[in-house]
This record gives sequence, C-alpha cells and structure tokens, in this order.
Amino acid sequence: MIAAARERFRVRGPSQAIVVIAVLATCVLVGVRYVKALSQLNDTASRNSALSFEDREIAGGNSIVVDQRAPYEARALIPPDSPYRVVVGSRLLDRTQLTEEFVTTWLTYFLMPRRPEPDADWVICYGCDSSTLGDHYEPVWQDREGISIGRSP
Amino acid sequence: MTAHSIAGLIALNLFLLVVGAAVLFGLRGWESWGELIRLSGLAYMLGVAATGVTLVIELVAGLDFSLLSVLATGLALAVVSALAGHALGHSLPGRRSARGRLSLTAALFGALMIVYSEALFRSGRLAGLYEFDGWAFWVPKGKAIYFFGGLDRQFFEQLPGPSYPPLVPAFEATAFSFMGSADVVTLHLQFWFFFIGFVAAVIGLLSQRVPPILLWPPILLLAVAPQVVGHALLEEGDFILDEFFALAALLVGLWLVDHRPWQLAGMVLFSAAAMSSKREGYLLVACIGVAALVASSRQVRLMWPPLLLAITTAVALTLPWRVFLHVRHLSSGGAEAGGLGLFMHADRAWPSLRLATSATFDYDIWLIVAPLMLLAILGAAMAGATRPAAYASLVFALAISAFTWVTWAFPSLPITKEAALNPIVRLTGSLAFASTALIPPLLTSAWRGRGSGGIT
Repeated sequence: MIAAARERFRVRGPSQAIVVIAVLATCVLVGVRYVKALSQLNDTASRNSALSFEDREIAGGNSIVVDQRAPYEARALIPPDSPYRVVVGSRLLDRTQLTEEFVTTWLTYFLMPRRPEPDADWVICYGCDSSTLGDHYEPVWQDREGISIGRSP
Repeated sequence: MTAHSIAGLIALNLFLLVVGAAVLFGLRGWESWGELIRLSGLAYMLGVAATGVTLVIELVAGLDFSLLSVLATGLALAVVSALAGHALGHSLPGRRSARGRLSLTAALFGALMIVYSEALFRSGRLAGLYEFDGWAFWVPKGKAIYFFGGLDRQFFEQLPGPSYPPLVPAFEATAFSFMGSADVVTLHLQFWFFFIGFVAAVIGLLSQRVPPILLWPPILLLAVAPQVVGHALLEEGDFILDEFFALAALLVGLWLVDHRPWQLAGMVLFSAAAMSSKREGYLLVACIGVAALVASSRQVRLMWPPLLLAITTAVALTLPWRVFLHVRHLSSGGAEAGGLGLFMHADRAWPSLRLATSATFDYDIWLIVAPLMLLAILGAAMAGATRPAAYASLVFALAISAFTWVTWAFPSLPITKEAALNPIVRLTGSLAFASTALIPPLLTSAWRGRGSGGIT
C-alpha cells in the first residue's frame, strides 16, 4: 500500500515539481494566514457588536454629522413624502474636515425616501445664517452646535 | 439588523437558488440529485446572474419594481428555463442516490472553509456602512429603486456614477423588499451569500475533474487574502463583478476543452451580469473573448462561430442600459482622455503598467494568487496542455493591460494604490478571482501531463 502511494505521488518531470512547489507554498501560506484572517474577522465582529444602534446605523456619517441627533430628528420631523433642502454655513461650533463638503450627500442617503430639492419648505440648517432663510423660518428643533431643522414657507 | 431581516435574506437567496436550479436544468440538466447538490453553487450564481440581468432590463423598460415583480420575474425565468430544458430533452433523474465519496483532504479543507464562512458572516452581520462609494451612490440607488419602484430620474441623474449599470442597486432593492425595510446593516450579508455562492460554484464545477489537494488550497488562499477579508462584504459592485467574471472565465476555459454548449450559455449569463454590474465588465469580458479566440485559433471554423455568438449575445443583453443612458442624455462613462487622448498622456503609460502589475502582485493585497497563477500556467504549458495555458496566460496579460488602460486613460487618477484615489486595487480583484478559478485545472493539467486531455 505504501509502495502504491509512493508510486502515485512520485514526482515525474519539472511540471509535477512545479505543482508540488505550488501546493506546498499555498498550503503553508494558507496555514499561516487562516488564523490571522479568523482573528481579524472576529475582531471586526466584536467591534461591530460593541457599537450602539446609532453608531452602527450612522456609521460613515459619524465623521460628518457632528451631532447624531440631527439626522434622527430630521427623519422624525420631515414627512417621508416632503422634500427638504440642506443649507450649510460656517457657523457650526464644532465640525470635522468632512462636514461642510459631505453633509448634504450623506443626508441624501440617510433621509431617503425624502427628496432634496432646492426650493423645499423644510430646511436643515447646518451652521447656516438663519437670517438668509427669510423672515418666516421657524426652527422646530435645534442644538447647541448650530444645527437646526425647520420650515421656511 | 434583526432576525426578521436575516430571515428575509435567507428567503431571497433560497428563491435565487430555485430560479438558478431551473436555469441549470434549462442549460444542461443533471444526471442525479447528487449532481444537482454538487452544482448548487453554480445554480445559485446562475440564478443571481439571470435574475439580475432581467431586473436591469425590466427597470430600463420602466416596469414597476416591487417584491411581487421580483417574484414574478423569477417565476417567469424558472418556467422558461424548465420549458427550454424539456425541449432540449433534459429530464429529472429518478430517485437513485448518488454515491459521492468525500476524501479526507476535501473534508479537512471543507471544514476550514465552513469555519471561515461563519466568521465572515459574523463580521458582516452588524457592520455599518462606512465606505464613501457605498453611501454616496451604491446604496442610495438601491434605496431609490426600493422606495420609488424604478430608476428614479432625480436620484439616478444626480447621484455620483450615473453611468454605472444598476444590477447591484437592483439586488440591494430586492434585498430590502425581502427584508421588509431598507436595512443597510443587514444588507452586508447579501454580499456574503454572493461570495459563498461563488466559492461553491467553483468547487462544484471542478470537484469531479480536479483532485481536492489541487482544488481547495487556492480557494482558501483567496478567502484569506487581506483584500477579501477586509472588503468582501462591502455594499458595492466590485466583488460581485469579480465573481461573475471569474465564473465566465472558468466556463470558457472548460469549454475550450469540453466544447459543451451549456458552458458557453452559462458564460453568456455571467458575462452579461458582469457588464450589468460595473462598466469595467465590458473590458473584462473583452479579455475573456480575445483570449478564447486566440487560444482556439487553430480551430477557427469549429470554435469561433459559437464563441462570437456567445459574446455578442452577452453584449446584446446589456444594450438596453446603454440605450437608456443615451435616451436620458447621461454620460456613457467613456474614457476621460478620449479616443486619441492616450497619446497625449503617453507619459502615464509606464507608471500605469507598473501600478497595475504591482497591485496584482502585492502580497499585502492578494497574497501570492498572481505568482501562483503564473506557476500554474508554466506547469500546464510544460506538461503539454498548451491551449489551457495559452488561454489563461492571455486572460492574465490582457487583464493587466486593461487595468493599465484604466489608469492611463483617466488622467485625473493619481498613480497610487490608495483606494479613495484610484480604483486599481478593486480592479485587480477580477484577475485574482479568475486566477483562483483557473489555477486548480491548470495545476491538474501540469500534474497529469500531456495525456490528460488538457485542462481535465
């Protein structure tokens, strides 16, 4: 039996030598990387499960929105079939490097099915100068960071 | 992010498996129920490809998207496939049981794969959506289809990447419909199903013709590659494109040896799905087509007509989307440098080639998948399996050329592997996946030598 196995797996010629080298190299590398991959996947799973509901749902937006309550308030206040507009200004007390450039895009994703429209009544003021929104702008919600949500009919 | 959402995804993927089984019956049938189980991964991926391509055509045609329309689409595909299979003389096998023998090697590597799959599942189950491309346009497009029942004019024109074909957003919308809400957290698991389906498809296609020791290690090597571990479940189009491309490349490789019509028919579906997933799909399918044409150039009369017909059919299935872009006056997503612009940016040619090659061979991205592919090609060529070796080497060289062209033809892309600035790393995934599918049969040819009949 041993002789048969030896005969079966005997390397004949350079092409079979290449196969042996390829398989050995792959198996060794898989052996080393497999443990590392599992460890990395476990770490990712642990990190994800340690997040709060809000951190997980906002995710990439955490580096943009400054105040997590703002997008949730926008979802709660603006009806799904009502359009809105985001007005970004420089009056935010706190901001990240990404806030001004990306907050409109991120809110577009987060607030769907609500549509962003330039003339919408609903306004999300992100550090904007509210006097530019007209005399009729009434904030329904605001925080201390300079974010407010309201209507400007 | 609830059990309800996961149950919805399981239902969706069982549905895709059933549709795919019917498509498989239409294409080739099966001789035993054991064979169907072995090919269930292929059946699932055929279901994904056929359903995805059909959904894109329906969306372009303006049909309302809903859970009901998805179910009706799958049912129609299944009925048409079953009728086609019946017309081709395929029939269901009797109750005789298949006697499959599981080798120790297959059992060991299979167990490793199952443990890995479980870990990958857990890593995606509660993952947030962090990637810019994901929340900037892939998922919003999926949400738009889900909420508005079609290719909403505002979102599909204003969101970034308007020329990107909507197969992935269509699947995201389908997943939302099955989950009952736009649960972008649990949505990661849909991409887990795609990846596991791909792995199962490759194993099913090759397990009867490749010894387990040559089949499983390359697949596990891909699974533990840093790029796969870190990014396989992103809610974007890159990995599903890689999976479709790799299966199309494998089926063509098998067809070059076996000449079975169903292999080309499967290639048509996977190629059309690749081109409906991302624009790069056209480039990649061209690589497969040219490689196959050159590799079969000694049998032009026999091989070229069916091959050209298959490629033409695959491209034709994606034409509705191109017409849609034209009708809505949207960018077609052509090269930034234009037709002759490459010559104006000739100084980018060499850096672009160097970048494409270094990303493909980067150990910290794809481990040794690319060197292993070259080794397998060399071994197969030395053993006399010239056609498979020629085909695989051409796919490899043409894909590198295509990646080079992308950086060269888009002068705004800096020469860097930084994912946020240049898509080169994501692009090379297609070659890594295709290599993984082609390495086992090439190694088998190298081991068995000239008398083995090539790739088998």
